[in-house]
Amino acid sequence: MSGREARVWLPGSLDELWKIWSDAPDAVLYAGGTDLMVRRRKGGPLAGSDLICLERVADFREIREEGEEILIGAGCTIASLMDHPLVRQNFPVLTQAFKVLGSPPIRNMASIGGNICTASPAGDTLPPLYVMDALLELRRENGLRRIPIREFITGPGKTDLGPGEVLSGIRIPRLPRYNLHHYEKVGQRNALSISIAGLAAIARISAERTIEDIRLAWGSVGPTVVRSRNIEKALTGKPLSSESMEAAFPLVDRAVSPIDDLRANARYRRILARNLLLRLPFRGVHP
Amino acid sequence: MKRKTERQPCEAGRSMPRLDAYAKVTGKTRYASDFYAGDMVWAGVKRGGVPHATILSVETEEARAVEGVIAVLTAEDVTGTNRQGVVRKDQPVLADHRIRHRGDPVALVVAESRRALREAVDLIRIQVEPLRAVLDTDAALRDGAISIHEDHPGGNVLLEGTLETGEGEDAFAQCDAVVEAEFQVPMQEHAYLETEAGWSVLEGDGVLKIEASTQTPFRDRSEVAEAIGLPVDRVRVIAPYCGGAFGGKDGVTIQSLLGLAAMRVPGRPVKMWLDREESFLAGVKRHPARLRFRLGAKADGTLHALSADLDYDTGPYDHLGGVVTALGLEHAGGPYRIPNTRVRARSVYTNNPVGGAFRGFGVPQAAAGMEQVIDMLASKLGLSPVTMRLKNVVRRGDRNAIGVAVLSSTGIHECLEVLEGHPLWRDRRAWKDRCPPARKRGVGVACVMQAVGYGPKVPDVANAKIELTPEGAFRVYCGVVDMGQGNITTYLQIAGHVLSQDLTAMEPVLPDTDQTLPSGSASASRTTFTFGKALIRASKLLKRRILERATDLLMEEDPRNLDLVPGEVIHLTSGKRIPLSQIALILNREERFAVARYRAPVSRERPTDREDLRLHGIPHTVFSFGAHLAAVEVDELTGRIAVKKYLVISDCGRLINPRLFEQQVHGGVAQGLGYGLLEDMIVRDGKIMTGDFSTYIIPTALDVPNMVSLAVQMEEKSGPFGLKGAGEVAVDAPLPAVANAVADACGVRITRFPMTPERIMEQLERSGEPAP
Amino acid sequence: MKIDFELNGKPVSVDVPGDRRVVDLLREDLHLTGTKEACGSGECGACTVLVNGESRLSCLMLAAQLEGKSLTTIEGIGQGKDLHLLQKKFVEYGAVQCGFCTPGMILAALRLLRQNPRPTRREIREGISGNLCRCTGYQMIVDAVEAAAEEIGDERA
Ligand SMILES: Cc1cc2nc3c(=O)[nH]c(=O)nc-3n(C[C@H](O)[C@H](O)[C@H](O)COP(=O)(O)OP(=O)(O)OC[C@H]3O[C@@H](n4cnc5c(N)ncnc54)[C@H](O)[C@@H]3O)c2cc1C
Ligand code: FES
Ligand code: FES
Repeated sequence: MSGREARVWLPGSLDELWKIWSDAPDAVLYAGGTDLMVRRRKGGPLAGSDLICLERVADFREIREEGEEILIGAGCTIASLMDHPLVRQNFPVLTQAFKVLGSPPIRNMASIGGNICTASPAGDTLPPLYVMDALLELRRENGLRRIPIREFITGPGKTDLGPGEVLSGIRIPRLPRYNLHHYEKVGQRNALSISIAGLAAIARISAERTIEDIRLAWGSVGPTVVRSRNIEKALTGKPLSSESMEAAFPLVDRAVSPIDDLRANARYRRILARNLLLRLPFRGVHP
Repeated sequence: MKRKTERQPCEAGRSMPRLDAYAKVTGKTRYASDFYAGDMVWAGVKRGGVPHATILSVETEEARAVEGVIAVLTAEDVTGTNRQGVVRKDQPVLADHRIRHRGDPVALVVAESRRALREAVDLIRIQVEPLRAVLDTDAALRDGAISIHEDHPGGNVLLEGTLETGEGEDAFAQCDAVVEAEFQVPMQEHAYLETEAGWSVLEGDGVLKIEASTQTPFRDRSEVAEAIGLPVDRVRVIAPYCGGAFGGKDGVTIQSLLGLAAMRVPGRPVKMWLDREESFLAGVKRHPARLRFRLGAKADGTLHALSADLDYDTGPYDHLGGVVTALGLEHAGGPYRIPNTRVRARSVYTNNPVGGAFRGFGVPQAAAGMEQVIDMLASKLGLSPVTMRLKNVVRRGDRNAIGVAVLSSTGIHECLEVLEGHPLWRDRRAWKDRCPPARKRGVGVACVMQAVGYGPKVPDVANAKIELTPEGAFRVYCGVVDMGQGNITTYLQIAGHVLSQDLTAMEPVLPDTDQTLPSGSASASRTTFTFGKALIRASKLLKRRILERATDLLMEEDPRNLDLVPGEVIHLTSGKRIPLSQIALILNREERFAVARYRAPVSRERPTDREDLRLHGIPHTVFSFGAHLAAVEVDELTGRIAVKKYLVISDCGRLINPRLFEQQVHGGVAQGLGYGLLEDMIVRDGKIMTGDFSTYIIPTALDVPNMVSLAVQMEEKSGPFGLKGAGEVAVDAPLPAVANAVADACGVRITRFPMTPERIMEQLERSGEPAP
Repeated sequence: MKIDFELNGKPVSVDVPGDRRVVDLLREDLHLTGTKEACGSGECGACTVLVNGESRLSCLMLAAQLEGKSLTTIEGIGQGKDLHLLQKKFVEYGAVQCGFCTPGMILAALRLLRQNPRPTRREIREGISGNLCRCTGYQMIVDAVEAAAEEIGDERA
């Protein structure tokens, strides 16, 4: 560990950020610090690095409607999003995930951008963002690009974030046609618990309880979030029933590739990946 | 006419608020970890890092060269015995030639700052020759296994004992039904929120002062003195309120290291405070155990034969592992009359983390086995688990499973009767029928007992001292640590009851080897029991002295015409009052103090002639009891278990402070639920894989149900105001109660605990339970 | 690095390394040891403080982040005879055992009641779910918070 004390900056705007960053290009970004500070404690190169805290970059804290999309600033905390009417009304599946992320103080600190950039297969906001086909906005000093979340996350802890680039916002289309919104995570306990397996689902269910359209994404059962068009196609047109779900089990088996870790073994994760589908028929459907 | 006072005198039996709570809710309480001073230095250690090895050399030059490093010490610098321990002193302060587990301290660094400390610790190199690591009890017992302590005559067996009654195992032939099972229960971390902490200073008069988060200041003093080579009277140990302990601070943690460090910087305070990861690495754990049980009964449900084998993994040192083993042996048969038994328990040295004292002391393991097999047997015989237990629990005067007559108060039958009549039991069918989709509900019970005190050979003694201060208040010199149980409040309540004073007129002196008197450990459910009794005696002595003096002042003949009221002595016939401050003035210093001693009773029974087993506590004579009920819901899709309702009925004698008692019950149940359901300590190659709070999962507020706690208050004559111990018994039952409830819900039993959803799901699948 | 902020209602100015953890700043530099550290990694809540009224974990926060903010620690809630209602209820309802989790727990509960003055028991459990307590089994803490909420409600009514 280096004896030098690290410098810390708190830019208030994007312009300030670019300026600071060009003067200290090796500085590491953080927002809530709930991932970064924990890693830093463990030592390694992060322990002594200079830091730029994004929590005061005003541009990153906005939530606004842009036509058929809603733009969420990457720096928004989980707690602020959980309470936000635009998010609550439009993206119940995301709100459900927020509610089971960490604990109240973690949610007050943690940002949605941090959850995405950490790119953990267990990240709770990721399966909902995958089913909603969220589009990420990445900025560098003189440029902006947009990229679907599933292309941005390339592996466990790996992203397509370039040098000098930040995640500034998340664009999510409104999805009025979906009347079933579901997120369930299985963890080791009821709070402060990292996902062993999770399932996000949004679906359009007809009055006769037929699945007209469904999107599914699993967390913690592969190196990145698993979304399978095959399964979604197979379920479309089927009744919302346990039998339909069970019929999709072989496809689920093929789609997931879980591992053993301290929290659970792969075998159990496979069982969960299937069984979590069986919860859907019990879910309430909005008219 | 009696004057009404605003202040209510203390009274045994009333829930008085905790005295310590006021400072705790404002953050004012100073724990050992809260000490900071301008000239303070830091101490820390380099730990072994390998499970088993011979140390070739310890290279400290680079560490010494770090700016701000004051000293780096190794075993060579320890002038005392360099050994600590309670029964067998087999644990080095700094490892000499051998590393026996990954957390063994090898070198001690003293530095001006934490930064320098960390840097120096990282730079120390230990050259070792690896030895084959002994990673489980089977490996330790195998022929040719390497001895972890070459000087131990028992090889890798720390302690082994077998007790037999009646015809022993032969009696199984006479049983109508027999069940058999093997279980494995996990290592458990205490997870007190305040990790091991303290500070020390070598004072001008040559006295080494150590303030530490500890349960055992008096024992620490002699252990430290011997280990680091000081006369006992040159060591002083102070024990402030402690941020949780549960047995994990029953003995020396950092005290000797602190002492060694402080000797290097005379006059400057040295602080040591383990971070959470180091606390996991170095601290003692609940012993993991393998349990084999065989239980037989007659057709009517009368228990007839028991055979039990308990193997405890004690890690590399005897941190009370022998006592844990003996308690397991004594409690293996639970609170039942079983005429023919053979029970064997042993603790085995390994290179795993150190097994040690933990609330329940070997009993939660034993109860995990016994309380499940008795349920299995009941179901085989078609009896309800409550009926089965009612038929067999001990009543006062009966002989328990090791053949010892239970002569003290025995309320387990009464507990069970209350349970049987409780709506949670009576209406269980209706509750189970209202189960939501994809879930199964079940209700389970468990009955447990827990010995109080040290047993027949180690004197269970407390010495109480109380002072009438010159101001007319009372000062209680508390010899036993308050690690959160609230016993200091209970002590004042006890003294206040005898002296008819309210809490505002009383203050405690916390344990300090210079000021308070030796009174043993805060453990073994004895904290209030033994000291409380001594304190009643001391308070009565002081009361008599005060009243006698008051009779002189009033020229009254008979002290019975006088009594104490808050702050005053009152003359009952004339109504005259004398303030206590006035009486304090006419007493000389010696007279203002009263001291008394109490030694807890011991059993005269001899279930064994083996003196070593008796030394480790067999048999006890006073037991607390409990009957628990858990109502659970199992999620068939995920295997997750939700404990929905929980009922505890305890027999811990008469309660002095019902609220504080209930706190012990709640805390014990929560810890027991963690043990049964969540806390899966994973150790591979002697290494803890779940060594922090993100991977070692203890219950949050969302994981513990609302609990109902009831008490059958039967008087125990040997205890203060009829009380028995209450600190441990509640932790013994949750694991089996939940396991029995899960079996009731979905017909599966797992054999390896905790009951993680993964294990439940595996069983559900295996049992062919179709997923819906 | 010079940092100006408000601490328990009073302006303070400190000169410390910007990467000093807030928990160290409080305990070691400012001698406010009511804020505890029990894990250093966000998992236990013992180090909970309020920053502009929101609960945050001082072990995961750096001193630099305090600039211009208002920080409340347990020492700023109620002292001596002048206890906050919530503190009184913690004493009265037996919510305190070893007390090491207590400061963080009280701040978490305070934040909860400010956000949701009439929480259900379930909501109280959720509100304190980031604060581990190894002693109490939580029930009496829930009782205390519930009682405080009722009394606040009654006063408002
Ligand atoms: C006790 C605890 C419990 C937790 N529980 C959960 C849980 O249940 N579910 C869950 O999903 N997660 C959980 N987490 C993880 C963590 O809280 C989340 O991942 C959180 O969303 C991270 O956000 P942050 O703002 O704190 O990230 P930070 O720690 O600030 O940053 C994380 C990473 O992202 C980078 N980064 C952050 N913002 C940007 C940006 N705008 N542009 C580019 N890079 C950026 C940082 O450089 C860093 O590498 C938990 C963490 C803790 C400590
Ligand atoms: S010390 Fe900060 S959360 Fe545990
Ligand atoms: S009271 Fe001890 S941790 Fe909560």
